[in-house]
Order: sequence, then structure tokens, then C-alpha cells
Amino acid sequence: MDFDMGEKVAALRLELRRLVAEHVPPDFLGAFTDDPADLDVAQRFCGILAERGLLCMAWPEEWGGRNASPWEQTAVREEMWAHHEPRGAQYMGVNWVGPVIMRHGTPAQKALHLPAIARGEVIWCQGFSEPNAGSDLASLQTAARRDGDGWRVSGQKVWTSYATMAQWCFLLARTSTGERKQQGITVFLVPMSSPGIEVRPLATMIGPHHLNEVFFDEVWVTDADVLGAVGEGWRIVQEVLAFERVGIARYARCERLLQWAPVVLGDQWEALPGELRSRWARMLVHARRARLLAYRVVALQAQGQVRPGDAAAYRIAVTRLDQQSAAVLMDIVGLAELQGPDARRFRAAVEDHWRYSASATLASGSVEMQRVLLARTLLAKP
Amino acid sequence: MNTDLCPEALELGEVARRKLGAAGGDELARRVEREPASRRGLIEPVLADLGAWDLDVRSGPEELEAAAALCRSAGYWALPYPVAERLCRPRGLGAAGMSVVAEVAPAAPVAQLDLPWMAVTLDGRRSRARARPGEEPVRRSAFVAALDLEPLDTGGVADAALGLVLPCWTLLGMLERALALTCAHVATREQFGQPLAAFQGVQFQLTDAEVERAGLEELAKYALWRLEADAARSLDDALALRLAAVEAAETVLRVAHQLHGALGFCDEATLSWVSRSSVPLRRLPFGLSATRDQLTRRLGRRGLAGLFGGE
Repeated sequence: MDFDMGEKVAALRLELRRLVAEHVPPDFLGAFTDDPADLDVAQRFCGILAERGLLCMAWPEEWGGRNASPWEQTAVREEMWAHHEPRGAQYMGVNWVGPVIMRHGTPAQKALHLPAIARGEVIWCQGFSEPNAGSDLASLQTAARRDGDGWRVSGQKVWTSYATMAQWCFLLARTSTGERKQQGITVFLVPMSSPGIEVRPLATMIGPHHLNEVFFDEVWVTDADVLGAVGEGWRIVQEVLAFERVGIARYARCERLLQWAPVVLGDQWEALPGELRSRWARMLVHARRARLLAYRVVALQAQGQVRPGDAAAYRIAVTRLDQQSAAVLMDIVGLAELQGPDARRFRAAVEDHWRYSASATLASGSVEMQRVLLARTLLAKP
Repeated sequence: MNTDLCPEALELGEVARRKLGAAGGDELARRVEREPASRRGLIEPVLADLGAWDLDVRSGPEELEAAAALCRSAGYWALPYPVAERLCRPRGLGAAGMSVVAEVAPAAPVAQLDLPWMAVTLDGRRSRARARPGEEPVRRSAFVAALDLEPLDTGGVADAALGLVLPCWTLLGMLERALALTCAHVATREQFGQPLAAFQGVQFQLTDAEVERAGLEELAKYALWRLEADAARSLDDALALRLAAVEAAETVLRVAHQLHGALGFCDEATLSWVSRSSVPLRRLPFGLSATRDQLTRRLGRRGLAGLFGGE
């Protein structure tokens, strides 16, 4: 056994930390705030990563990548999430929009989209969930109707992150009705500047830009905007979910904030109730546990294997960790005199973590769906 | 990065599970409870046949991983024998086994063994240990005996880490068995015209247990690796593992009992034996609160080694 990721990954991690220290302001809490300067930071940072070949490391060389190993990809995920995701919304384009276009796109679609994603210049949003199609995504009703040599899309999406700032939408729409609801769904790559698209931001406790409603009113799209074959969208969605198998490295931010707490509190640390420090210690163990469960999934991926139950167990563990560690950190912050810039940054980061963690068990698929999946694998006949 | 036990260890684990099964399996615990004096005679020859006494867990990663796999298989059958503790025996001191003990009321599952034993505290104080004769029946004591200690030296921090880690592998095997028994039970037991497994309320409880089990497995491997790399500095990792193990045991066995219904308490159900056999491992050298307290004190302001410090 060897849990060391090796020198190459260690060097990459150091390089990423150096770039963050140099190019991301210490007060940065993510690109999605009311201050447009934060989005600018993320866009510039993506450009810096792209120049060094670090933005799309996992991509093949043909499209500007480095064929990075699963462990290098893991280090990127960890470092970026730990430092409040200075890539902004780009991780979506890099992690799965690009790879799915590589597999299913036409030469023209690849030429249009992949270089822009690789340069970190474009933001995508994901037109999946609808008012009546959340976990039951295949029940979506947004429809694309044939109209001459194109399509007219009408319907409503909801919980759409980054829709106010996105240039493109990876849209699921129903183009026909089959025997099963999974049939007749098609993927469209739609410019968000298209006439007939209206974005209405939703004010939320997790912060601005995270959730929006997107309305499509007879939006014109062409056959050139269809990704893959008409009616084959569900198969593509399954691939998207596979690319997102490990998802966000939430444990990395939890661990960073937990380790930061006693540093910031200094001599106040020992004055905290012993029970609270015990909860803190327990959360550090749970952060390690979640990290190791992620590594189990990555290790299998590195061997070309998939065990869906392992990924589900990880996601259950890591989303719980996110919320429980946020509660512990908020209790710590509440009992300390936090003065000076570093302490104020810590307080702000904890408060941000707490608000955002409320969505951890819902974002990218509810934890209940992961439990259903895990139970299915546990109860499968050997 | 390689998160799997070495092939030789995995093979030994499989062979051990098979041979212990052939030697009686679940029946071993039942028989030893009826005839406590028989446990050495019943179990030691099987362990000898598996090469358990030839394993030197301090000689390198392969033997340490093999020992861990053997402990896991012993746990699977709730083997009424301190396999992990015997495999931890220190070199050159004439001891047949070693247990980590608390400062207060030192105890270990060594009743009726009559073997020279060692004890070590978390701060590395080693003692020769002798089991006090007990009056409680085995059904309640689970072979746990109070220890009289004769201090020896203070160089045993690495021993303490090892002595915490290997029994967690035994507990992991027990929890895996409990979960497997429960999955099998809910798949066949019908209520309201369908198997219990069809109810989402049942399924979700199973997932709670599996997340704990899976997390424990990974932490157990990680702690083993840290022992291999630097035993003397791996006590944090051993305590972190122990905390996760005790928490996992609570969740897994609570779920297992709940889903077995009243059957799970009956002697005819294997779960009842696994559950009772787990108690010494969960309570010694200290239970949940004391483990958490020890870990918290050790971590201080330093935290736990990981991506962001703690070293």
C-alpha cells in the first residue's frame, strides 16, 4: 500500500498554491458574489491556468490538455475547492461539458467550443432541472418543436447556476415522447444571448448567481446546435454523471478551514469548551475519511473500473461532512474574539462555508438518490 | 498511490476466512462459551496452520498487511480469541501477546489463556501483565480480565499505535459480517407482502451502516500504511482510526439489530454473537468518549496530518 500521490502530484500541488497566493486576493470567497471584481479574478485566474496548461490538464493533448493522471486531476480538484474555487464556473466546462463535446460533438462544435473552454474564456450553465423534474430528471417538459430546418424551444428551467453570467447553455429538451420518459430527450448547445431566453435570478441564502430560473419562449435553435443524435440525450446525461463521479472535493475546504481554526484563535483555542474541541477533532477524522473514500473511487478509475456504490458512499460521507464541519466551525467562530485581517477572513470563510453547505446534500443530485443507488448495490444478489 | 492490501495479504485473508469457517465458523464462539477452557485447544491449531505465529508484524509491510487481513477474517467469524493482540507481541521480551491499556482499570480479553502478556499505555509505558482470576461467566465477560501490571520500560509508543490499529481490523471484520447478515435477512424476511429490503426506510438505514463500514475500511488501510512508514509517529492516525471504528460499530450494530428485529437478540441468530463479541473491542482500552478525548488532547492546536498541515 502507498497513499502517497508521488512527487509529480506534490509539485503540481505546490505550483497551484503558489499561483493562488500570487493571483487570488486573500479575501476571495468565490466568483459568485455581488462584487463583479470577484468574477474578474476568476476569469483572469483561468487565463493564467490555461497559459500554463493547468486548466484542462485532464484533456487530451489534441485539445490543449496534458492527459493528466487521475491523481493529478484529484490534486487540482482539491486545491481549487480548498481555495474557494478560483476557476469560478469554469470547472463545469472543463470537467464535463468539454469532454462530452469531445465524445459527441461534430467537428464544427468541437472547433467552436473546445478552444474557448480550454482558454478559460467561456462560462456554461446547465439547463437540466425544471419545476417538475428535479431528482426525477427524465420527467422534464421543456420541449423543442420542429420548425423548418430548426427547432423552437419553450419551457422553464430552474436552480440553474451561473445563468446570469453564462454565454452558453447545455440544455436538455424533449423532442419526442417515447414509451419511456428517458426516450425523446435531446441535448442542445444554446447561446444564452438567443432571443426568447429570460433569466430571473433567485435571491438565496447560499449567495448570488447560484440559483436562477431560465425561461425559454420559442427560442430558435438549429440542427447545428444539437449535440449527438436527436433523442439520445439521456445517454449523454449518463455520461455527464459519470464524469462527475467524484465531483467537488468538498473535504479539502472542510479540512483547510478546520486546520485554520486553532491557528487563528491562538491562545483562545484552549478556552473553547472541551466538547467543542472534541467535535473539531472528530471532524478532522471525518474529513480524512471522506478524502480516503474519494481516493478509493479515483484508484478504481485509474484502473479503468467503476463501482457506483463506492462513489455514492463517498458522496454521502462528504456532503454530511460539509454540513457537520460547517456547524462546528460556526460554533467556534461564535465563541472567539476575531480581530485582525486574518481572523476576519477566517470568519468570512466560515460563514460562507456554512451558508453554502446547506446545499451540499442537494447540489449535483440529492443525497437521497445516492442512498438509493448505494442500497441497490448492497442488496444486489452476488 | 495504491490503496489495496498486497496480494499476499488478501490471499491470506481469504484462506483464513475459509479455514476458520471449516474449523467451525460461527460454532466456535458457541462452543467456547459452553467450554471456556477449550478456546486455546480449539483455535490455536487453526491459527498455527494459517502461519499466524510466523508473522512478524514489525518486519515490513507485507507481514503487517497479512496480519491485518488475518484479524479481519477472525473478526468475520467473531473468533473468541485475541488474534490481533497476539500478533502485536513485542520482540524479545518473552510475551505471547500485547494489549493497549488505559491508565485506570487496565484490562484485556485474555481470561483463560494463561499466556505471558504485555501491556502498553498510550504514552508508551510498557508492563508485564497478569490476568486476575474473574468470577463473571464468559457470556458476560467475553473473556475480559482485569490486569495486574509490573512496569518494564517507557519505549512503547510505536507498540501502542500498532496495538490500537490491529484490533480495529478485527472490528472491521465483525462489522462486515453484521452488515452482510443484515442484508441477507432483509432480502428474505417479508412483511406486508414484500421483503423488508423493498422499503426505503430499511434501505436508507443500510446505507448509513455501509458509509460507516466503508469509511472505516479506508481509514484502517491508511493507518496501517502510516504504521509501515513511521510507527513511532503514527499514534494520531491510530487514534483517528479507533475513533472511526468505535463510531462505526455503534451505527452498524444499531442498524443490524434494528433490521433483524427481535431475532437479532436470540442465540440462534449469528448477529447476537457478533454483537456481543464486539464489546471488548469497542470498550477497551477506552470507549467512544475517552477515545475522542485522547485524540483531541493529542491534536492540540496542531490538527491531524493531511492536505493542510497537522504534521
